[in-house]
Amino acid sequence: MRDKSTKRLLIVWAILTALTLVYVWLDHTTDANGTLHASSVVTVSAIAIALIKVRIIFREFMEVRGAPAWLCRLTDGWVVVVAACLLGSYFIGSAVA
Amino acid sequence: MSTATTLPDAPEFPGGSRLQRFAWNVRHHPKRELWFAWYVMVVFYNLYGVLFFLVTRVQPPPSPDWDTPLVVQWFDEHHLGLLTGFGVVFLISGMCAPMNALLAYSMWRMSVSRVFAYSYLIMYSLAALPGMLVMAIAMTVGALRADRDPELIVWMYDFAFLSFSGTMGVFLVGSVVWLVAILLDKNNVFPKWFAYLGLCNALTEVVVAPAWIFQRGAFAWNGAIAWWINMVVFILYTAAFIVLLRRMIEREDFGTGPLPDPAAKAEPVKAAR
Amino acid sequence: MTNLAESEHVTVPPRRVPGQPDMWLFVLFEAMLFTGYFSVYLALRTQNEDLFLQSQADLDLRVGVFNTIVLLSSSWAVARCVRAARAGQYRSAMTFAAATVGFGVVFAIFKVGEWIHEIRLGNTFTSSEFFQHYYFLTSLHLIHVLIGFIVLGVLIYQLRSPLRRSQELVETCATYWHTVDFLWVMIFAMLYIVR
Repeated sequence: MRDKSTKRLLIVWAILTALTLVYVWLDHTTDANGTLHASSVVTVSAIAIALIKVRIIFREFMEVRGAPAWLCRLTDGWVVVVAACLLGSYFIGSAVA
Repeated sequence: MSTATTLPDAPEFPGGSRLQRFAWNVRHHPKRELWFAWYVMVVFYNLYGVLFFLVTRVQPPPSPDWDTPLVVQWFDEHHLGLLTGFGVVFLISGMCAPMNALLAYSMWRMSVSRVFAYSYLIMYSLAALPGMLVMAIAMTVGALRADRDPELIVWMYDFAFLSFSGTMGVFLVGSVVWLVAILLDKNNVFPKWFAYLGLCNALTEVVVAPAWIFQRGAFAWNGAIAWWINMVVFILYTAAFIVLLRRMIEREDFGTGPLPDPAAKAEPVKAAR
Repeated sequence: MTNLAESEHVTVPPRRVPGQPDMWLFVLFEAMLFTGYFSVYLALRTQNEDLFLQSQADLDLRVGVFNTIVLLSSSWAVARCVRAARAGQYRSAMTFAAATVGFGVVFAIFKVGEWIHEIRLGNTFTSSEFFQHYYFLTSLHLIHVLIGFIVLGVLIYQLRSPLRRSQELVETCATYWHTVDFLWVMIFAMLYIVR
């Protein structure tokens, strides 16, 4: 049982690292000629991937998986609220500009 | 305000009308000084809110980015509010004393060294000077004479707001002293979450520091980050400690060990207020 | 579910809150606070996209990615530490705790190095709106990391002596450190990737 949980933690780390490297790929494909371009797709993806990573950290590293239901719901709800705030600020800001 | 379970030897109110009960409390209730300080604190914060936000309107702060004519115009428009509002602030500033004493008392009651309580008391006694009175003085001086040199008025304006927002360092250190005391405390005077909330509050006070540098944007003294978000956290923090201090007084048993858990709400008419 | 558990003689552990519930209040409150800062940043960014993009080009993505992986590793280390402490293997737990501190120090060194590099390029706190947010967010985060070192110090102090060990306090400290990690994950996305 201990070995399983140890292996699980390592797999989680590997997934999180891989998701981080996805950012590098995202960066390379959107920045033509070395200059940066504005892109809603990149922004939304960046936020989405970050929140996926955060949720994984909550559930696996911070052991929310084994926590009472209220904590699971609270952290999931938090992820949704943050997504709404960030995407909301971005899109409302873009609309106003 | 029941003393029934936390102070078993306390005198009990003999019975009578509400007014008689109030008079009896003032003369005999064992915790009357603590309750007095608590009510002074509540009244003070309410007055503070009304005076700073509604009467003088210095909060939310106007922009540091204004040029001289705009600043002079602001003083003109707020002339009466500034003078009357801050006049009252000068009168009530003494109310900070019982308030700070009550907070220091909470640390005194903890199992940690008395040094925490004393240093907090000293820090916060001095903090009212730059944190409130300097602004009051500068604003009233600026508003006193309508024909004053505009450059001097702008000077007063900058002096007031920078002093008010920029001297958060003292409050920051005070908050940290309090939160460390709570974390080390074994008497359970405050719940640990309040110490962590204090840490959040202390960090937002750090965030105000850039106000010394910027005249516009999110980090100016009226900025979204340096003022608005900061104020939301401060209000939540203040509301929390007002409620927690009330609970502390209710639980107080004047001993030196852990505070008993809150008295059961099923206590009948013995509640004295 | 119970049939499976019975047949494999595995007991499903009861659900418990990791560490003090109080620390969770801090975690979520602090995270909301940072969300507020990010929202202000994103809103201001949309008003001035070109300026932000131009400034953002001066950031080195590789350092950002490296720092992110370093902090993810530190989170892994502290998670291993908590598991080891729970199983009673305190020597192993101490090693993992030391590793966490090590990763944290590496992060701090590279962060300061990155600041020095940016300042040499002429990008200071006041040079552009983007860099205002960059220095603000990264320095506020670094303050959290420094507080994290104190928290890890408490953790290690707890683990050292058999008289002091409190699994709840160990988990509470770990929860704080994970917060430092996931805040960085968000900051990295906001500053380095968002376009």
